[in-house]
Amino acid sequence: MNNQPYSGSILRPQRTGLAKWLPIALGAVVLILALAFPYIVDRPRFWLPNIGIRSLWLGVIAMSLVFLNRYVGLLSLAQVAIAGVSAYGVGFVVVQLELPFLVGALVGIVAGTLAAVIVGLVAARTKAIYFLMITLAIGQVFYSWASQSIEVTNARRGLAPINRPEFGPIDLANIQTFYYFALLLAIICYLLCRYVTSSTFGLTLQGIRDAPDRMRALGYNVFGYRIAAMAFAGFIASIGGILIALDRNQVDPNVVSLNSTLDVLVVAVIGGIGSLGGVFAGALVITMLSNFAQNFTERYMTLTGLVFILVLLFAPTGLAGVWQQVRRLVSRRRNAQAEQESLSGLTEQQPRANTQKGTSNEAD
Amino acid sequence: MAQILGIALNGLTLAAVYFMVASGLTLIFGLMRVITLAHGTSYLLGGYIGYVAARETGNWFIGAIAAIVAVGLLGLFIHQVLIKWFQDDDMRVALITLGVSLIGADLMLAAFGGTATQVPIDPELQVATVQLPLIGPYSLLRLLVLVVAIVIGVLLALGISRTRFGAVVRAGVDDAQMTAATGVNVPVIFAVIFALGSALAGLAGVVGGTLFPLMPGQDANYLLFSLVVVIVGGMGSIPGAAIGAALVGLVSQFTLVYVPTYSLVFTFTLMVVVLAIRPQGIMGRKS
Repeated sequence: MNNQPYSGSILRPQRTGLAKWLPIALGAVVLILALAFPYIVDRPRFWLPNIGIRSLWLGVIAMSLVFLNRYVGLLSLAQVAIAGVSAYGVGFVVVQLELPFLVGALVGIVAGTLAAVIVGLVAARTKAIYFLMITLAIGQVFYSWASQSIEVTNARRGLAPINRPEFGPIDLANIQTFYYFALLLAIICYLLCRYVTSSTFGLTLQGIRDAPDRMRALGYNVFGYRIAAMAFAGFIASIGGILIALDRNQVDPNVVSLNSTLDVLVVAVIGGIGSLGGVFAGALVITMLSNFAQNFTERYMTLTGLVFILVLLFAPTGLAGVWQQVRRLVSRRRNAQAEQESLSGLTEQQPRANTQKGTSNEAD
Repeated sequence: MAQILGIALNGLTLAAVYFMVASGLTLIFGLMRVITLAHGTSYLLGGYIGYVAARETGNWFIGAIAAIVAVGLLGLFIHQVLIKWFQDDDMRVALITLGVSLIGADLMLAAFGGTATQVPIDPELQVATVQLPLIGPYSLLRLLVLVVAIVIGVLLALGISRTRFGAVVRAGVDDAQMTAATGVNVPVIFAVIFALGSALAGLAGVVGGTLFPLMPGQDANYLLFSLVVVIVGGMGSIPGAAIGAALVGLVSQFTLVYVPTYSLVFTFTLMVVVLAIRPQGIMGRKS
């Protein structure tokens, strides 16, 4: 029952030495690289918006998907639609109602989180493949509505302009400031996800993922917990949606199209569908691919699709899993000798096991 | 009255196309418990192949046969190369087929361009009408599509409930291991059903492409509608797909006339209502 490929274990064996320090060191290196990013790239005007900021919001939305998949066991394809609701919330308030950005951001986050609750109410009664189908359908319905509703979303033309605001000395219109703003939000989202997964709430979610019936018998409201998890993931995706609105300076149906949904899914799968931090690596791969593939091929989507399928076929744990695969290979080599010894030990123990079985049968 | 009946008939002919797409999806799910998200791609590819073959030969039927064979073979290829290994991992199958649809959409855009096309058919048939009681003149072509869908539906239902192959398929649905133990080559049955389901979508593409335009984005559109149809009708049930298609077709046509902007929202509401009352769909069995 627990042999799911990416079920995170609640009781982790105590890590020692290298295994304990490596994730921390890796995190520090990634953080330093992310902070230095505007200074180490050759053309910041190109790299910051096209690679950096885009990776950050793709990663944040993909992280909400990974959170639901890894800790709740629900693969939701509606996360992009939820981010889109949030982005449209910002656009509607700023463009249609002509109110300040902060009001828009608040409305966006509330609307996105509410949308996630509604998606949860509809879909969270089902699971696995049904959940995937229903969330995909809901996302597509929102796309169709967004591209038709003249009075709310301004149909295909979308809502523009959404200008980046200025808070005292912090001017988000400056691309470098905006990059650090997005980075800060992404880090907060990541830490928030980490905090929630290690809280009592997160542990309960994992219990529900692995054994819903047992948790129900223990008195937990399984459906309610799933909705709450959807709401939290919706909140994270909504923050991604606000970054989208600011990054693009507008919001149009393309934000929530099937291709955008697939982009986020590809990011999550390439980064490692079970890894919260891996999504940013996946996002970096996808944004680089989309920007540089144009140099040698027009068929960027085909290339993305091929990479996506290859990862699913051969490395289902994604980039984050490559390290573990390598480590497993090394330890397998190292243990080969020990295994042989234990094998001879097993054959000795075999008869004893049989007698034990025999006695228990007699007792019956 | 005449208008309402006319809209209803439009809804049913639209439902006929939805049913043909969704029946392949539900057939595959019924046997293999996997969902192929490349189904919309099969629809659009079938339509394009039918368009090219019918334009070159001037014969609609050659177009239809070409689409059935080509899309069926593509389905066989997808099953043998990509899906066979992960038959028990339905999530991975869904994601891999989603990747296939991503590639398919891009390659079809490259091959057939972004402009709308339609499968050519005898121009006399295109404009022919029949006089119907209460409704008045109505497109013969649309009625033929309805007839084709009903024939396919009846053949599928009879084939599954009355033939030996159908019995084997049903046995495979209930217990693949025991069926294999009785000497049935289950992997071959799986491959045949997957190819058949894809071929149905290909045929639906030709039929649908004769009535409605073929263009990029239609793959996602038909994938969405066939998903909604099988969710509403119940996964794995052919009669369920028929009921689901009829409901979706009628709702989308009536709302298109009376509240055009919110047409899809009502289709969505239909899905939500069905899920709230019967989470397994109208004809679905509880897992």
